[in-house]
Amino acid sequence: MVVVEHHEGKLRPVTKDLMACASILERHRSGRITAVIPGHNIVGLAHETARMYGVSVIGIEDPVLRNYNGENWKSALKAVFADLLPTYVCIGHTLEGMEFAPGLSVTLNAACVTGIEHVDGDPNRILFTRSIHCGKLLAEVVSCVETTVLTVQPGSFAGFVCEVNTPGAVELRSVSLPPSFSRTLGIKGSRDRNPALADADVIVAAGKGIGKRENMELVKRLAALFPASAVAGSRWVVDAGWMEHRRQVGLTGATVKPKLYIACGISGASQHVAGMRESDFVIAINKDPYAAIFKFADVAIVEDLTSFIPVLIEQYDRQREE
Amino acid sequence: MKILTCVKQIRDFETTLPWDEDARASLPGASAPNKVNPFDLFAVEECLRLKDTLPQTTVDVISVGPNRAVDALRKALGMGADRGIHISTTGEEEPSPFSVASWIASYARKTSYDLIVTGMMAEDDMHAQVGPLISEMLSRPCAIATIFLEPLLEKKRVYVEKEMEGGMRIAVELEFPAVVAVQIGVNKPRYPSLSNILRAKNQELETVDAGSLEQPEPRDVVLQVHPPRKSRSGSMLQGTGEQKAVELLNILHGKALL
Repeated sequence: MVVVEHHEGKLRPVTKDLMACASILERHRSGRITAVIPGHNIVGLAHETARMYGVSVIGIEDPVLRNYNGENWKSALKAVFADLLPTYVCIGHTLEGMEFAPGLSVTLNAACVTGIEHVDGDPNRILFTRSIHCGKLLAEVVSCVETTVLTVQPGSFAGFVCEVNTPGAVELRSVSLPPSFSRTLGIKGSRDRNPALADADVIVAAGKGIGKRENMELVKRLAALFPASAVAGSRWVVDAGWMEHRRQVGLTGATVKPKLYIACGISGASQHVAGMRESDFVIAINKDPYAAIFKFADVAIVEDLTSFIPVLIEQYDRQREE
Repeated sequence: MKILTCVKQIRDFETTLPWDEDARASLPGASAPNKVNPFDLFAVEECLRLKDTLPQTTVDVISVGPNRAVDALRKALGMGADRGIHISTTGEEEPSPFSVASWIASYARKTSYDLIVTGMMAEDDMHAQVGPLISEMLSRPCAIATIFLEPLLEKKRVYVEKEMEGGMRIAVELEFPAVVAVQIGVNKPRYPSLSNILRAKNQELETVDAGSLEQPEPRDVVLQVHPPRKSRSGSMLQGTGEQKAVELLNILHGKALL
């Protein structure tokens, strides 16, 4: 069973990762994939999902489900469990999915494995791979019970291509939702597309390794070497007040795809990587040789940025003079 | 208000790798330095902020773990929490998030807490499950990724703003009792004060032996731990800083990026 994530009438990209994960599981354990979409006025999305992925879709339709609410989502999904009797429930490892997935595992007496990046193994022993220790290590996990709730890291199954012959069947249901103890009031803030970041060919981003506010100068000077460049930051430097939020790259900031991304003193937590993993070319500078960012870099430089960046700029200037 | 906050003492691997290349084994023994899970410091601070500004508010802090959990409790008490509870486990094997949540939930059931505040995830296991599990087990509402929190005492509710992908926020009201899992950056954790540290050192903690509690059956098991796969080549430049700089410039020129 796949829980489709959507927002403002559009499927969220993690849906693709969920379908990829589900189809691997389906191959290993032969079952049937059913997509479930809780929401309001979701008939269009339900058909879109059925067409794109060739799976049967159950849309749980209720005006109360117009805006995401963790309790209501849990109640809506619990209502279809009895029919579907899922072996696997695939949910996005997102700021919605992470909220309701663990609770569902309690109801289903299921295992709950979060942040899955890879699925492997054989029908008797399916291995789920997930990051631990800030992404410095991977753990391979097996479920010991019949049912497993998984949350899937967005972007982990990027290569998935879905071969669909016929669209799946769509069914709309309404369920009676128990009263909830929470109320979603609305959405705040605007999705400000920051042109400075979106249009930049080269982005130089600062992370915790910057150390002090003064060192932000280094990042700006490095960016200045390149045409059409912009400076950005991880969540850490924005929280420290060293960079404005509009320049934050990551899950709760901007997603960028520049030609070149230089990560300076960035550890590589998945929430940051989510915002830059599709950059054409990635250079990472970090004094920790085991920093997770190096998994996502084309070129890895194990150096303290405070000494390396000045050396790099000096070399650049020297070469220009020649 | 009566508040319960949950903390975890984790191994500090910020600049080292918890992996012995030669032994191909994970996690060196008890000698690795420890620290309070950073997310939990933000949780404790958020509770203390409430204690500072609201009348008759107490903060209990609970931790599940072996002896090192006591350090996390003492740190939270040093920051200003009122009481510490240690659910004491033995051995190095980590209890599952399900076990941790059931033990905390069963403790919480005995006291009528208005708010239970956790960190969004532990940086070591990265499960991010305990908060949502506690809320399900207590049949109470929960909000994760909380970046702003304000109790509305007369309405017996808490107003929270949660982060959404892309930088927006979703505003939610939860009826007491509620579980809130906070995100890093929700506040600026204070340093423990000298007087609180002294008090914390000698303060008696409530200790519960986890072995005496119901032991949930394991639902999943870690078979293996190994270094990560690379998504990209990650070719590591060699030599001195200057040599790496020269090579990097060559690469950039070669790709017409400079």
